[in-house]
Amino acid sequence: MSRTPHRELSQMAVGERELDSMTCELDEMHRQTFPGVHKMLGEFGANLAQTGRRSTGRRRFLTGMGGAVVLGGVAACTSSKSKRGASIPAPISGSSGGKYVGDLKVVALAAALENLAVTVYQGGLVKAAKGQLGTVPPALASFITTAMGQHRDHATAWNGVLTKAGKSAISGAPLTITQDHIALLNAARSVPDLARLALALENAAAETYTFAAGTVTDAGAIMTAATIQPVETMHAAILSFVLGQYPVPVSFIGTSNAVAPSALTA
Amino acid sequence: MALQTAAGLENLAVFTYETALRFPFIGGSSANDVVKAFATKTMAQHVEHGVAFNAAATKLGGKTQNATDPKYAPVVQAAAGKIKDPLDVVGLAITLEDIAAQTYVKNVGLVSTPDLRALFASVAGVESQHRAILLAVQALLEGGAPQLIAVPPDLARLPGAAGNVGFPDAFLPTAMAAPVTQGAVR
Repeated sequence: MSRTPHRELSQMAVGERELDSMTCELDEMHRQTFPGVHKMLGEFGANLAQTGRRSTGRRRFLTGMGGAVVLGGVAACTSSKSKRGASIPAPISGSSGGKYVGDLKVVALAAALENLAVTVYQGGLVKAAKGQLGTVPPALASFITTAMGQHRDHATAWNGVLTKAGKSAISGAPLTITQDHIALLNAARSVPDLARLALALENAAAETYTFAAGTVTDAGAIMTAATIQPVETMHAAILSFVLGQYPVPVSFIGTSNAVAPSALTA
Repeated sequence: MALQTAAGLENLAVFTYETALRFPFIGGSSANDVVKAFATKTMAQHVEHGVAFNAAATKLGGKTQNATDPKYAPVVQAAAGKIKDPLDVVGLAITLEDIAAQTYVKNVGLVSTPDLRALFASVAGVESQHRAILLAVQALLEGGAPQLIAVPPDLARLPGAAGNVGFPDAFLPTAMAAPVTQGAVR
């Protein structure tokens, strides 16, 4: 029931310098807070190392789902000015570790989705800095930098699971849906354009993890999905509010727009 | 027991929003329309959650939990008597939404069937959304900018804090989760 400290209300638009600063602060914050996440994943990875050796005859995880959810583009987050002027890079990368099966395929899918989210937000920052989205309100800038950092944490978490299980980490977003989302990102000409793209991504991630929480068998994987899913729904709520939509439109997070594991191309 | 405890938390949330809506600055003539609509809709969503948890309980042969959570109900009662402004209501609601979300996230790892895991996850995400919006509203109220609580918002004037105050953690914690037996029907 505590109140947050009083916050000064800045009404300045955000420029490149501010975006740089925010990104650097975010990086520092993550370096300070990530040890706890690694501890959790240590236990998670140990469990999944066994899961990955089990039968590949996995059943119904997201089977039958369309996987046609519109998401975003990719690229590792960077505050480097040397990359600021570059166009949004093609994110389809993958891994050198071969196929992922069972729960590990779901984990790899999750890592790819998180990378896709990072790319969308990073690409949004690049476009904002270049003035391609018009004036970026402070609330949007703070949303993007914080959400991007959290997605980066999520990707690191999921990739930690893969590497501990003896699999290669997922780099980029090796997904069948990636190119379409890069195109949408490149086509974005305004803050609402970017917000709509991000909202679709957040909703898809949340639904994917809702289904994962009910479907994967590894206890660590279940809890990882369970603890990340609410964060994606919170991102979605703020984006909806920004877009002038009702922020909590459904009473139950569904799964009909979840991304199918078959969308993973690594 | 986890389902009954969850239903008790939902019943308490319904009671809390119902109580809040009786205050003129939440549900009356001096209320912000957006806040009033949010409280009304959120209360209805908690009713749905309670129904879902009780339905799952009865499907498993258990009894429905029609009472409010035994641990937190007295706390809410006491807090309700001291409410003086919208910030008091928002703070109380944030706490309840947080407890509910953390409880359900923890329960995802405790219950035994895929359907129950999916149910708890499904509701946890919605409680988290309630909390995110309430945190943003709280920040605007504390910042002395209640006029910015509007749909659609005046984006250009929204402070930076409104954009990220709603999701403070990269991973939802579970330290505040209620024990599964807390609201069990005896």
